[in-house]
Amino acid sequence: MNNSHPALPEFDYLTPTSLMEASQFLAGHPSDARAFMGGTDCFVRMRDGLLPMKTMVDVKPLDGMNEIRFDSAKGLTIGAAVPMNAVAKHPEIRKNYPLLAQAAETVASYQLRSRATICGNICNASPAGDTIGASLVMNGVLTVHGVGGFRQEPLSKFFLGPGKTVLIPGDIVTAINFPILPAKSAGKYRKLGRNTLSDLSIVGVTVFGFPDKDTASGFRFKLALASVAPVPFVPVKAEEILAGSTISAESIKSASEAAMDSVTPIDDIRGSARYRKLMVRNLVNDTVTEVWKQLIG
Amino acid sequence: MATKTSDNPIAPVGESVTRLDARAKVTGSATYADDFQFGPILLHARAVRSPHPMALIKKVDTSEAEAMPGVKGIVTGKDFDGMLGLYLTDRYILCRDRVRYVGDPVAVVAAETVEIAEEAVKKIKVEYEVLPPVLDPEEGIKPGATVVHPDLGNYAYPNFIFPEAGTNIANRFKVRKGDVDEGFKKCAAIVERKYKVPHIQHVPIEPHVSVAKWDEDGHITLWTSSQSPFAQRNLIAKALHVSQGSVEVIAPYVGGGFGAKAGVSMESLAVVVSSKTKGRPVKLVLTREEEFHAAFCRQGLVAHYKMGCDKDGNLIAVDNKYYWDAGAYTEYGVNITRASGYSSTGPYRVPNVRVDSVCVYTNHPVGGPMRGFGMPEIHVGLEQCVDDLAHEIGMDPYEFRKKNCVKDGDIIVTGMKMHPTGLSKCIDEVAKAIDWGKKEQPTGPNKRRGKGMAIMWKAPAMPPNPGSSAEVKFNEDGTVDVAIGGQELGQGTFTVMAQMVASALGIPYEWVRISTPIDTKFSPYEWQTVASRLTWSMGNAVRLAALDARKQIIDLVSKAWNEDPDNLDIRNGVVVSYKTEETLPLKDIVIYGIPKENYNGWMGGPVVGRGSFMPTYVTGLDKDTGQGERAVVHYTTGCQAVDLEVDLETGKLDIIKAVSAFDVGKAINPEMVKGQMEGGFVMGMSTGYFEAMRLKGGVMQNPSFVDYRIATSTDIPLKVESIIVEVAQDDGPWGARGIGEHSMVPTVPAIANAIYDAIKIRVGDPPFSAEKVYLAMMDAGIVK
Amino acid sequence: MAYHRIVLTVNGTKEQVDVPSNMTLLRMLREKLALTGTKNGCAAGECGACTVMMNGEPVNSCMVLAAECDGAEIVTVEGLATDRQLDPIQTMMMETGGVQCGFCTPGILITARALLDRNPNPSEAEIREALVGNLCRCTGYFRIIDAVKKAAHAEAR
Repeated sequence: MNNSHPALPEFDYLTPTSLMEASQFLAGHPSDARAFMGGTDCFVRMRDGLLPMKTMVDVKPLDGMNEIRFDSAKGLTIGAAVPMNAVAKHPEIRKNYPLLAQAAETVASYQLRSRATICGNICNASPAGDTIGASLVMNGVLTVHGVGGFRQEPLSKFFLGPGKTVLIPGDIVTAINFPILPAKSAGKYRKLGRNTLSDLSIVGVTVFGFPDKDTASGFRFKLALASVAPVPFVPVKAEEILAGSTISAESIKSASEAAMDSVTPIDDIRGSARYRKLMVRNLVNDTVTEVWKQLIG
Repeated sequence: MATKTSDNPIAPVGESVTRLDARAKVTGSATYADDFQFGPILLHARAVRSPHPMALIKKVDTSEAEAMPGVKGIVTGKDFDGMLGLYLTDRYILCRDRVRYVGDPVAVVAAETVEIAEEAVKKIKVEYEVLPPVLDPEEGIKPGATVVHPDLGNYAYPNFIFPEAGTNIANRFKVRKGDVDEGFKKCAAIVERKYKVPHIQHVPIEPHVSVAKWDEDGHITLWTSSQSPFAQRNLIAKALHVSQGSVEVIAPYVGGGFGAKAGVSMESLAVVVSSKTKGRPVKLVLTREEEFHAAFCRQGLVAHYKMGCDKDGNLIAVDNKYYWDAGAYTEYGVNITRASGYSSTGPYRVPNVRVDSVCVYTNHPVGGPMRGFGMPEIHVGLEQCVDDLAHEIGMDPYEFRKKNCVKDGDIIVTGMKMHPTGLSKCIDEVAKAIDWGKKEQPTGPNKRRGKGMAIMWKAPAMPPNPGSSAEVKFNEDGTVDVAIGGQELGQGTFTVMAQMVASALGIPYEWVRISTPIDTKFSPYEWQTVASRLTWSMGNAVRLAALDARKQIIDLVSKAWNEDPDNLDIRNGVVVSYKTEETLPLKDIVIYGIPKENYNGWMGGPVVGRGSFMPTYVTGLDKDTGQGERAVVHYTTGCQAVDLEVDLETGKLDIIKAVSAFDVGKAINPEMVKGQMEGGFVMGMSTGYFEAMRLKGGVMQNPSFVDYRIATSTDIPLKVESIIVEVAQDDGPWGARGIGEHSMVPTVPAIANAIYDAIKIRVGDPPFSAEKVYLAMMDAGIVK
Repeated sequence: MAYHRIVLTVNGTKEQVDVPSNMTLLRMLREKLALTGTKNGCAAGECGACTVMMNGEPVNSCMVLAAECDGAEIVTVEGLATDRQLDPIQTMMMETGGVQCGFCTPGILITARALLDRNPNPSEAEIREALVGNLCRCTGYFRIIDAVKKAAHAEAR
């Protein structure tokens, strides 16, 4: 039976003044303290009684959390506390990483995007996370501050299960970094929800493609699928097909079917496994075709 | 509240004046039940609710909770033995010996803060003995099923409800008319279908809120978001064995009702816990999750249809069975069963009818009076069967409906004679507006496009004698305060009543205020704000009250001027004589009267107009045949059609254009009538696309907005057209009848029929999710 | 549980409030500042009835801690009109019939005001998209969208 409460449970709100203070506090209270950004995921779970925390640690004002830096040689750095709306409308991001802006704009509503963050979306590690696919395919790397100081965590190895990541108590993500993208790349995030907009995804398909002289097809496609596995899923076989031979309607169809065959989604309240698999096939086909058309101009 | 006065004597009736509550609402100053300020005296309540769909209560231990600091009162079922029920009295305020649905309240705690109340709830220990639940109405009527209400035989009920003691059948409405078996022999086409319509929720954006105060002298005050202040007063007073006069219900603006806030649901919980708090008021607010699973819902329906027509397309026989999954308590739902029985054929002329509409207790959430009151549910199948019949004999579904739809003078399913109705005109207007018969081009290669139509009827479902009353009283400056007992839910009642008073009295619309909040101590009686009845019923009372005031004024002035009252009128707040052209502003006389000549005394005094209306002509219906002279007060009829596309890639639906036409008798405020058509369409569309309470083992799996989806601004059609048809209601004020519910009745089958037109298959029961549509296409070989 | 003293601007007025850690901005506005225009519809960031402007952007106030609002500038529905002169979005919402029960209206007005502030000439699609986080059960949204269009038009003049 549902046990949602009318109000948030009692907790203390902490505003540490440095990253080290924050990391040490979190490491010292591993089961009942949590860092938060927009709070749009954790406050809901706290009201539902699923996240009993004694202390909520607001890390948003700390060093580096609020900046967006783009350097045409080094790439893009987005501070972990930057809300999704700010990401989506930033001119350098719209110009150089349009897939990220587009994916961010599919999340929830404008109001929620005033608070929700990309890094928060990633750390929440829901397989439905809308910005996770874009972050993966563009080789995002997280800057993490822990009790041992700073380190980098590539997204490709970050997700362990629904809600589970490689982060340990004390870890705070301070930024996400993207390398400079290959020239002439194109990408699209196609999200299928129940409503036209705003819903959680039943299936989400991220496609990122670029010319690559090292593949047989002359192109490389990076794919990520949301809501079809315990973690954001990379359909490797499908990627291989798209790299392995000349791109055509048939090869795209074949890749789509390989993607469909490679996923083992569950039946849940949003959709059945059967429907999800078929939608993976249809939406991969559609989205790869769309990106492909953009690539060949 | 801009608007104009007019020289047209019937204005502003018929004009689309700005709502009189609009400014308060756009400035955030409109008061709703959660906005009343009580200060530190206010306590907060939370309820202990059953986690089981069916169980005996063995023990309730509140001792640990009682000992908590800040807890000011706890009540359980043993404290209150009275029963509640609008029609069938079957519900204790708090469960006493058993619980019957997940969410059934067992205890209520009042505490200084809602957090303390919540903690106290966790500390109340209830021991249950779980029993096998009834989770399907067709299973519930089989021998051997758990009997949800073993005491059914002892419950009180009115003479038009027929519970079957010892079973799970709370009511059965039978129609036996003509000879269906002979009728089917004459049919060239017969369709037999089964449809399951899932439970859905009202989802008002404002949750239920009640604040109750039980004074030491026994006076009970209840501030509540309510469609039914008088019915709540009545039912709660009866359940508490006190006089209705000692219960005062105060009801401000309602943030959406749709039926959820009619009758009594959670209001009594706030009242009973306030009995323990020594006069301190206690507030209970339902969380959105409780709104979804523990408040009135719309009951589920399992419906079997067998309908037949001859080769010329005349409907000959209907043999339908409606099994209502009515939930744990059917005190309100028994009448949904009845209404669905007496309107069971849909708006058609059918000579042979056999219908059983059966209200079945289940251990599901409580079925209550949701918008449409059984009509949306039964029309889902009715209108798809009608289309299927038309297709079978090769007739255009539009022609089929034109031929068979009820017309003035037809004898309808209960033997009642149909009154004048614009249903045929509604069908024609809709067909024209949707370009019926024209096959539209799909907007893309992966789309299939189709058009579908559905018609409907609904009568206000009420006891035979539901009353309305109103008072019109003046202020010194001639402005008027109108006292009514009906509620503004957003449907525009206050505005429409003000228009009626202005028209009937002859004063500017801006001079009229409606007294709000409704307060049962001061406001005149109104049965309930349900059934789309207020424009017609309360409108009659309000019009009579205004005319009563007008008569007092005219009589007084005719005496003062020694003139025939027929030569006098009130225009724009001024009494005028058409004979002498003398004038006298109302402000000079409506409080102070008129001085006699040379101030040798005075005549008149404060003017108070009174009006009252109650239908007197509704008759009973035979228990075995459902036949009777006058089953209902009247029917509102209408038609909707949609032009939509099915996406072959995903199964998603996209409505390009939606058209509605309803016969409202007289549109008192045409733009507001259209607003009801638009809003009802979208609510219907939302139920057709997304909505279902997913019940598994009696537990709702989707009790939040995350997984109970409703239509957003991005889901609505590109184009919507709303057409008003006016065929006057003989006893309606200016000919008006209601529209509030009707606009969501035909929507789901119109969508289903359009899907069929697009892809030539039926996709099953609503909601028509993209997945359901896509997999149906896959299974039919339309997509691979 | 800790209390925090916050100083913030609400509808142009400086306020000082002591709030417990777990109090949301919504509850603070309604319970500490008696600004009951902003409504509680779901407490989960889904319905938008609690939408207020925070530092120029619309947020679901049920999802923001009051304690996070030290130094913030908040605008609620009560702050849209100036000296009883209604904001065009309010006037148009009245005129088009975009208000029925009125419970979603305060949140919708803030969302719409924010849209027009950042995009003075939005297309129909942009309006629909901007409003997706505000649920309305009464109107079907048509007249709300119309009100936003009319307000944009009125402000362009």
